[in-house]
Amino acid sequence: MFRSTGSGLLVARIAWASLLRRRTRTVLVVLMIAMSLWGLLFMQGLYEGMYEQMIDNAIRSGSGHLTIYAKGYRLEPDIKKLITNIEEVARFLAKDQRVASVVSRINQEALAATANYSRNAKVLGVELGAEQKHGRLADYLRQGELAFGPKARGAVVGSGLAKKLKISLGHKLVLSAQATDNEVSAIALKVRGIIKTNNLAIDDGAVFIDQAKAAEFLGIGAGVTQVCVILHSEEEMVPLQQALRQKFTDLEVFRWDELYPALMQSRVMMEGFSYVTYLLVFAVAALGIFGVILVSILERIREFGIMLAIGTEFALIRKIVLFESFIIGFLGYLSGSLLGGLTLNYFRVHGLDLTAFSEGLDAFGLDAIMYSIIKPDYFVTAFLAVLLATILSVIFPLRVLKKARPIEAITKL
Amino acid sequence: MMVAAIAWRNIRANKKRSIVTVALISLTTALLVYSSAFMDGSHNKMIQAAVEIYPGYLQITQRDFRDNPSYDNLILDTGALHRLVEKTAGVAAHGARFETFVLYAAREKAVGAMLTGIEPEPEKLLSRLHSSLVKGRYLTKDDTNALYMGVELAKRLKVDVGDTLSFIGNGADYSFAADRVEVVGLFKTGLFDFDGGATFLNKPYFDQMMASTDLATHYVVLPRQPAAVEELAAGLRQQLSRDYRAESWRQTMGGLVEAMEVDSIFGYITLGIIFIVIFFVIMIYTLLTVFSRIREIGILRAIGTTPGQVLAMLLGESMILSLLSVCLGGLIGGALAYYFYLNPMEFPSYEEQFKQYGLAVTSMPCAFEPLTILRDMAIMFLLSLLSGLYPIVKVNRYQPVEAMHHV
Repeated sequence: MFRSTGSGLLVARIAWASLLRRRTRTVLVVLMIAMSLWGLLFMQGLYEGMYEQMIDNAIRSGSGHLTIYAKGYRLEPDIKKLITNIEEVARFLAKDQRVASVVSRINQEALAATANYSRNAKVLGVELGAEQKHGRLADYLRQGELAFGPKARGAVVGSGLAKKLKISLGHKLVLSAQATDNEVSAIALKVRGIIKTNNLAIDDGAVFIDQAKAAEFLGIGAGVTQVCVILHSEEEMVPLQQALRQKFTDLEVFRWDELYPALMQSRVMMEGFSYVTYLLVFAVAALGIFGVILVSILERIREFGIMLAIGTEFALIRKIVLFESFIIGFLGYLSGSLLGGLTLNYFRVHGLDLTAFSEGLDAFGLDAIMYSIIKPDYFVTAFLAVLLATILSVIFPLRVLKKARPIEAITKL
Repeated sequence: MMVAAIAWRNIRANKKRSIVTVALISLTTALLVYSSAFMDGSHNKMIQAAVEIYPGYLQITQRDFRDNPSYDNLILDTGALHRLVEKTAGVAAHGARFETFVLYAAREKAVGAMLTGIEPEPEKLLSRLHSSLVKGRYLTKDDTNALYMGVELAKRLKVDVGDTLSFIGNGADYSFAADRVEVVGLFKTGLFDFDGGATFLNKPYFDQMMASTDLATHYVVLPRQPAAVEELAAGLRQQLSRDYRAESWRQTMGGLVEAMEVDSIFGYITLGIIFIVIFFVIMIYTLLTVFSRIREIGILRAIGTTPGQVLAMLLGESMILSLLSVCLGGLIGGALAYYFYLNPMEFPSYEEQFKQYGLAVTSMPCAFEPLTILRDMAIMFLLSLLSGLYPIVKVNRYQPVEAMHHV
């Protein structure tokens, strides 16, 4: 009859038949796995999407993947600490295949004032064309245009700052800041654009002005305070940082996660949080699978006893039980991944609109519309979790079966 | 009563199932009770810190000031406001503030910052400015050009206690205002933006320079009972003229309150996912036990027990188990919440992250609200009853003979 070398097909058919016999149960377990996977995938994709969005905003509008400062600038920002060999740096970066784009900036603290209000602000002297290519600034534009206008007398202002100063397009704005000669210098500008990047440092304080204008206003002869580099791939970040450090010993090179430690911490915390939730959910799910397998084995103890009595090896029975739980797990995994994948894809394209909470989200620097992301390794993790849960929940029932001496059970009623 | 007795007997007969169900539901209840206590507690703490450091529980401003904070919308008669608030019941302290922004110039650096004229004595109670002193001294009501400054700002300007610096800004009459002041004290609240951008002067002196005598941007009121702030605000609104608004921190710090709500929503989504699985597991376990007793149920029906009685018996079992588990879970979760309410958890390594979001806290206590705990227990009780419902109803649909022969 059944030999332990019995074909896989036979095992599968027996397993399938026993699952069908207890249809409600099977459906419930499959549903349980599917629903928990659905929830977990949705959560993971949405939360990660949220943080990636924050990081992306910070990289595009702020630091780039790498930021280069003159020595000592980061700890004590001072416009006298300039990157003067900017052309050499630019040439070096232009040659490198890993670099996607480079921009240079002149940064200085300032007081931004209108006739009625004044607030502290940050002047950013930029080249708009390069910035547009670098961080796709136009995507962040809320009002007006990304241009400094004739004679470069225009400014593009962060949305939070604009709100505090009560300024809108066409209004006049006076910036006062300390120039390189330590004297306070002032400049009058017209607001031509308002941007909202959700990078709080930019939104709440930035005034973008033309770089040449900034140099003139602050009395800078040559040089910039910051060079930002965006790479094709985040993995190239560390090697390029090393290369730059070796080549330019008079400069300091930082990765985005060194400049925004809080963002990196959020990402790490998020991952840890996801894993704990996964663990918790699958520990409970395993308990559900365990209960069903245990009961179905105990119910069929006489059936197994007869199989053993007519010469079936225990290994085959083990295979059948394993296969049953595998089928349940796999069906749950398939439907859960399908549901989760479709849901994530929907929110990847359309986004989750949380505009009702926009003020609260602003406080965290989050976008009001959240886009989820989908990574292939979500489904790998999910598969491993399901597999582990099903295997673990079969081990104990199989031991119970072995100890129960099924052959003796035949005679019992 | 008989149903309850039978139900109890059945629970004891199926010990393993009962133990697993009780363990599962009580752990879930404990998890829910503890999680909501932790979320509420940490949110309250963050809001409390944010409110108490500077903004205060209750602010009175000119009607349009919050929408349009300009010198055109000032409180024009602080003396009258002072007299009015003074005779209001339930007020612990109150004082006027005049906020403006100026550019400071020290020897090497120029930095823009907030300059506020405060009444040093009441301000000791209204905010944490006085208790956040780290070097030098706090302001007194007779001070002249003595400046009280955040430590981070002092670092940026490279000044210390005893140094002088000058500032330029706009007076209340839009005149140009400039003066030299001496740093007398440094404070550190832990709120990075605030420590890096706020400075204070004694208001009488400030008023001479800024032409702001009897004027204010904000009038801050500390209620005797922080929890009764809404009632106090409502009471003040009735007495104040229509030119003024009295608002509690719930309105003045709406963004922060909303941020905490968003955080709670994400927390509940995560808990929801865990609950879905548990819901299914309870349903599966109920199904397994109910069907393992299907012959017994068939026989009961055959000897004349009505479907209603069987339903009552099974529901009774489910109810007893749920009630037991929920009480146990509520006790465990409540005990945990109470412990962490007394001994808040510390998160020193996340200080940096919290600061970035303007939250000056490193320890997070749980809230201990018996009502919330009861609410969570009720939710779990309903959930576990609901999850058992389907198998119970399903088994009752069988005809007695079918049930007896069920394999």
